[in-house]
Amino acid sequence: MTVDVQRRPDGWLAAFTAMASPCEVLLDVDDRDEAASLGELAAAEAGRIEQRLSRYRDDNIIHTINHAAGRPVLVDDETAGLLDFADQCFRLSEGRFDVTSGVLRRVWRFDGSANVPSRAAVKELLPLVGWDKVTWARPSITLPVGMEIDLGGLGKEYAVDRAAQLVSMRTRAAVLVNFGGDLRALGSRRDGRPWRVGVESPVAAAAALDLELAQGALATSGDARRFLLKDGVRYPHILNPRTGWPVLDAPRSVTVLADACTEAGLLATLAMLHGRGARGFLADQGVKYWVLD
Amino acid sequence: MGATDRKPGANKAGGLRLALAAACSVLGVAGAPAHATEVSTGALAYVEPGRVKVFELLADGTHEFTNGNLGNFRFVFDALTGASANGAVPSKKAQTFTSPSGGSGYVILPGETPLDMSFKDTRIAGSGGLTLPWGRLTKATFGAYTSFERDYTSLGVNGALSHDLFQRNTTITLRGSHFADSVRPMNGVPDPLTPMVAATPHGGGDDKSFASGGSASKGVTDLGVGLTQVVTRRTLLALNYTGTNVSGYQTDPYKILSVVDATTGAPMPGTATPELDLYEKRPEHRSKHVAAAELIQNLGRDILMLSYRWYDDDWGITSKTTEVSYRLNFQPDRYLQPNLRWYHQSAADFYRRYLVDGQALPDFASADYRLGEMDAVSLGLKYGTKLESGNDLTLRLEYYKQSGDHAPADAIGDLRTMDLFPTVDAWIANVGLTFGKQ
Repeated sequence: MTVDVQRRPDGWLAAFTAMASPCEVLLDVDDRDEAASLGELAAAEAGRIEQRLSRYRDDNIIHTINHAAGRPVLVDDETAGLLDFADQCFRLSEGRFDVTSGVLRRVWRFDGSANVPSRAAVKELLPLVGWDKVTWARPSITLPVGMEIDLGGLGKEYAVDRAAQLVSMRTRAAVLVNFGGDLRALGSRRDGRPWRVGVESPVAAAAALDLELAQGALATSGDARRFLLKDGVRYPHILNPRTGWPVLDAPRSVTVLADACTEAGLLATLAMLHGRGARGFLADQGVKYWVLD
Repeated sequence: MGATDRKPGANKAGGLRLALAAACSVLGVAGAPAHATEVSTGALAYVEPGRVKVFELLADGTHEFTNGNLGNFRFVFDALTGASANGAVPSKKAQTFTSPSGGSGYVILPGETPLDMSFKDTRIAGSGGLTLPWGRLTKATFGAYTSFERDYTSLGVNGALSHDLFQRNTTITLRGSHFADSVRPMNGVPDPLTPMVAATPHGGGDDKSFASGGSASKGVTDLGVGLTQVVTRRTLLALNYTGTNVSGYQTDPYKILSVVDATTGAPMPGTATPELDLYEKRPEHRSKHVAAAELIQNLGRDILMLSYRWYDDDWGITSKTTEVSYRLNFQPDRYLQPNLRWYHQSAADFYRRYLVDGQALPDFASADYRLGEMDAVSLGLKYGTKLESGNDLTLRLEYYKQSGDHAPADAIGDLRTMDLFPTVDAWIANVGLTFGKQ
């Protein structure tokens, strides 16, 4: 992974590509070499998490779990932490957030086409969805045959938090980690000013978010390019794991400000799953948010 | 683990967000991580005007290993000088005492509290420990301690197990430690309740009163249990109990008691020394119980801390300590923290301000004011700030005042006009600097 280091008015910027996203690390340091080495640290962490959580690889723990054919698999501490987290999220969201819902992608391909699957095809997959069918007793996980888990829905935000923490352990300088629009600021800048943060709108017509962030994290859920359109009905890519069907009245995008990026990401995803109720849901949580319908 | 058997409404009024934030902190992505290595240094001065002065240097630190283990160390250097009450009563006449080294004597003027002016020592103490995660919710800690003074050595080991319950809202800790201490008084271990020896220019040497040898030892075993409970998001309650068993030599080899005339209250003349003073004697066993409760209430910007500690031992001492402290975070990186502490203790059963000539010797006796009935109050102010370098600086000043019964109702003769429990004042100042913290 190549890391490109550039001077910016507010510090040094280290840029690289990971998780199919442009990734940036802004550092409030004076020295280019220091910025480069911290940028490489963040890039390595992003690469490590991508390798570890990607469901497109056959050399990681996710592959082992998904291909165990009903046998228990022992997992490492980090994966166990993520599974505990997924378990908590499933329960807290009353089943709306479900890391086993990825199998629905076998019939749902949000490629802008009109390929809406048949009710029967969706129904056939539903028995393979449901975290409550998984036996998870740390450190052992057992999936029923045919089921799969996908931790990718947590991956990018988790990588942002981890990279920000890792970098801030090596420097006293303030750091802003931005992986494809999901970002986290950690530490105070020397001049006391916050970071200037721009979040591009997923909808071309809408204005980009421009805000100041000193400490905290921002995550966005929603991708206006991923949908199906049939008979005038727009099927966004947000699937309700309980029905197997998209949440038709989901907003185009939800951006949430929270302490950690993983937390912001989860809140944004859950808001989307609440459809029209997204704003009410977010207002109840007492977080700062931006919803685009 | 069904989706529908959960009680609804978890996402009302931020409950879900709180739970998510908690889950994030378990996942280890909430907040800034502690630096891998953190070191604190400090200097402390403790001054009792006219009496003891202690100057202390301290360094401690923690290091987090990449495998999650946590190591810590602590190093303390103390220098003590000044005067300390030897236990004898004041008198209308000048009194002569033997210094702890046995090689010289000192004279106390009429009406003054007898203070041993030669109190001087240095102490070096070091300790280290390791905390190992044991599974996801349990931690084990092991440590060792040692300290050296000219006449005192302590060696100790300790261990603790802590376990988190109820989504980490509750932590239970079991602790244990054992110390083996040994004291080598400068002039040998005196025979308790025998007359103080006279000063001899070349030390005590073969004097009969030091016949029992050069050193004595004791063992101290502690067992404790603690409970820390997150009561609400902003309230933390900690309850602790410690039971201690001490066995061995607990007498202070440098403390004495005056033997006074039953009518006049004047010190009786001695045979080897001008006045008759006996070495004190304390029991060889002591069991102590301490129960403490601490409440920490986060008030949004500020923090209120309340604590109460109850102590009881089989020497007859019961004490109660109440402390209130308020952390005023007047700026994000700065705080002022006043605190106020009240202390009361009852006297040990064998505490005697003096012994009376002609009365039978008790089994145990000590005139050490620290074993007498007393009240103490202390008032402190701490200031903390983050420096431009990112290090934390703290400054603290505390005033301490200890008082007891100056004029006991049963005082005899001359002693009625003397201050038998002088008030002790102390000032404590310290400065601390922490490195490697975000």
